Amino acid sequence: MKLEHYKFPFHVILHPFDGFWDMKYEGKGKVGIAMIILSLLVLSVIVQRQFSGFLVNFNDPRYLNSLDDMQFTVLPFFLFCIANWSITTLMEGEGKFGEIIMATGYALLPIVIVNLPLTFVSRFMTMEETPFYYLINSFAAIWFCFLLFVGIMTVHQYTPARTLITLGLTVVAMGIVVFLASLAFSMTMQIYYFIANIYRELIFRM
Amino acid sequence: MLLMLAGLSLAAATAVPAVFAAAPYEAYTYNYYRDAVPLPAPFLPERSVSGLDLGTGDFKSPNDMFVTEDGYVYVLDSGNKRIIVTDDEWNVIRVISAFDNAGREDTFNNPGGLFVTESKEIYVADTDNGRIVVLTNEGELIRIVSDPQSDILPSGFKFAPVKITVDRANRIFAVARGVFEGLMQFDDKGGFIGYVGTIHVTQSFADRLWLRLATDEQRKRMQLYIPTEFASVDIDHKGFVYATNIDVNSTATIKRLNPSGQDVIKRFGYYPNMGDIRFRSFGNNAGPSRLTDIKVIGGGMYTVLDSFRGRLFTYNDEGELLYAFGGKGTQLGLFNTPVAVERIGSKLAVLDRGKNNIIVFRPTLFGSAVHQATTLHYNGRDAEAVELWKEVLRLNSNYDIAYLGIGKSLLMEKKNKEAMEYFKLGMQRKYYSVAYKRYRREVMQEHFGTMMTLLTVLAVALFSFRFVKRWRMRRTVNREVGTL
Repeated sequence: MKLEHYKFPFHVILHPFDGFWDMKYEGKGKVGIAMIILSLLVLSVIVQRQFSGFLVNFNDPRYLNSLDDMQFTVLPFFLFCIANWSITTLMEGEGKFGEIIMATGYALLPIVIVNLPLTFVSRFMTMEETPFYYLINSFAAIWFCFLLFVGIMTVHQYTPARTLITLGLTVVAMGIVVFLASLAFSMTMQIYYFIANIYRELIFRM
Repeated sequence: MLLMLAGLSLAAATAVPAVFAAAPYEAYTYNYYRDAVPLPAPFLPERSVSGLDLGTGDFKSPNDMFVTEDGYVYVLDSGNKRIIVTDDEWNVIRVISAFDNAGREDTFNNPGGLFVTESKEIYVADTDNGRIVVLTNEGELIRIVSDPQSDILPSGFKFAPVKITVDRANRIFAVARGVFEGLMQFDDKGGFIGYVGTIHVTQSFADRLWLRLATDEQRKRMQLYIPTEFASVDIDHKGFVYATNIDVNSTATIKRLNPSGQDVIKRFGYYPNMGDIRFRSFGNNAGPSRLTDIKVIGGGMYTVLDSFRGRLFTYNDEGELLYAFGGKGTQLGLFNTPVAVERIGSKLAVLDRGKNNIIVFRPTLFGSAVHQATTLHYNGRDAEAVELWKEVLRLNSNYDIAYLGIGKSLLMEKKNKEAMEYFKLGMQRKYYSVAYKRYRREVMQEHFGTMMTLLTVLAVALFSFRFVKRWRMRRTVNREVGTL
C-alpha cells in the first residue's frame, strides 16, 4: 500500500461525500486500511477503559478484560457489515461487501483519533473539566454516525430516506443474526453433549 | 481481653482473614462497588443480662431500654408493667411497678417506650393507657400528658404513644400509633404543639398510571397513599431529633429533624443510609432492613437496629456506613427480636424482646479505633485522627473511610499529591478532584519558567525554520527564473 492509501482516510472523514465516492468509483479505498483502523479502535477502547483518568473512569478494575473489549468491538463491526450487506442486497444496494467494510471502517476513524489523545488528556482533568471529556466523546460519536450514514448512502447509491430505512433494518437484521447464532450455538452444544454422552456410555459398557 | 486484642492485631498484621471464634456473626461494610466487604468484628458480645441475673425475676416482653450518660440503665419491662433501674454494674437500684396518682395507685399498661432526661426524670410512653407518664427518678408522679387537644386532631382521636424522646427544654417528641403526620410534639406543660417531620409520599409514575386507568369503584378500594409511621426516635445533644421509619419503598428511612421539622441528615455516602443495600427482592429473608430503633452514639455517629435481620448499622455524620454486624440466632451475640439499642459508655447494649434479655457488646481494638477516629474527625481534629486511621488500616486495609480520613487530613496540610493517592484508594472522586486541582496548579507554578522558555524556544525555532524554508524557495525560484 502506498502512502496515499494511508492519507486517504483522513481525506474521507473531512470530505465524506467526495471521499466515499472516490473510495467506491476511483478504487482509492483498501480493506486492509479499514482493518488497521478497526484494530486501532480496539486498541483505543482497551486503552480508554484501562487508562482514562480516575475522574472519568468508572470501570471496576476487577472486571476489565482486554479480550472482552476486543470481542465487543470486532464482533459488532462484522455483525453490522454482514447484516447491512444482507439487507442492502435485497434492497437494490449497489455496494459490495468489501465496500461496506471499507465505508464502516473508514467511518470509525474519528473515534480512534479523538479517543486516544482524549484518554491521555483526561488524566489531567479536574472534575469541573470532565464535561468537556464527555462533550468531545459525543462529538466523535456523532461524527462517526454522520460518516456511516454518508458512507452507506454513497456505497449503495441510496437516497437519504432509504439509507435511514436500511440502517434501521440493519439493526433488526443484527438482532436476528444474534438470535440465530445463539440458537445454532445451543443446538450444536446439545448435539455435542449428546454425542459425548453416547461415547461415555459406550466406554463404560464396553 | 488483652489477649484477645493482641490476637486481633496479630491476625490483622499477618493479613490473615480475621475470623473470630468469639463472634457468631460476620461484620461488614459496603465498598464503593456496593459489595459487602468483611471487617474484623467491631464489637464482640460480652455478656447477656436477663431478669434472673438482676434478681428481679424474668423480663416479660420488654419494649424499651434507656441508658443515661452516667451509665444508669432503665429497662421498660412492659409485660410485667414495671421499670427496672440499675447502675452501670448491673446492680438493681429500684423497681418502679406502680406510682401514686392523686392518692390512687396507678400502673402502666403495655408501655412502649421510655426516656430519661439529664435531670433524671423518667418519661414513659404508656401506650395502652393512652398517656405519657412523667416520674421522678424515685418513681413519684410529676405529671401525666394525655388526651391532646387541638383543632388539627380529628374528633375521636385516640392517643397511643409508642416511643418518646425529650429535649433539653422538656419538649416531648412522641411516635404515636396511627399518626401519619409525623412526630407529635408537646410543650413542657404537656400541651400539644403540633407535628414535626412529616414524611412526604410521592406517587410513582406506575401508581399514577394505574389510578388513571382504574374505575371509580376500583379507586375506592385502592389503598390510600399515606406515609408510614415513625418507628423510633432519639435526640442528640444539639437538640436534633433522629427518627427511623419502616418503609419498603423508601431509601430515606433514617431522618434527622431540625427544630423546624425538616430532614437534615447527610446522605453523602455512595449509597443511601438505610441499613442493608443488597438484599433479595423475593423469597426468604427478602426486603430492606426494618429499622426499629436508633441511637445517637456521639461524634456525629448513630446506630440503627434492623429487627428484621437482627443487625446493627453505625453511620458517621456524613451518612457513610462504618460497620454492620449482628444476626439472628440463639448464640450469645445473636438476636431473636431485638427492640432497642443503647450505648453504655463505649459499649453497646441491645434489648431482645424474644429472648427477654439484654446483650452487651464491647468494642474491639478495631471498633474503638474507628469510633475514636470518627469522633476526632467530626470535631475537626483531623491531624490527630490520622494516627488512629493508620491503626485502623493496619487492622483492615480494605477500609475506605480510613483512606478518606487520612486524605482529608493531608488535604488540610496541603500535601496534595499524597492526598490524591488516598482519595483514589478511598474512591472519592470529589475530593480527589480538589486535591488534583491544587496539585496541578502547584506543578504549573513551579515549572512556569521552564515551560515558558520551552514554548518561546519552540516558537522561535518554528519561525526561523519557516523563514529559512521560504528564503530557500525564493532562491530556487529566482534561479529558475534566471535560467529562463
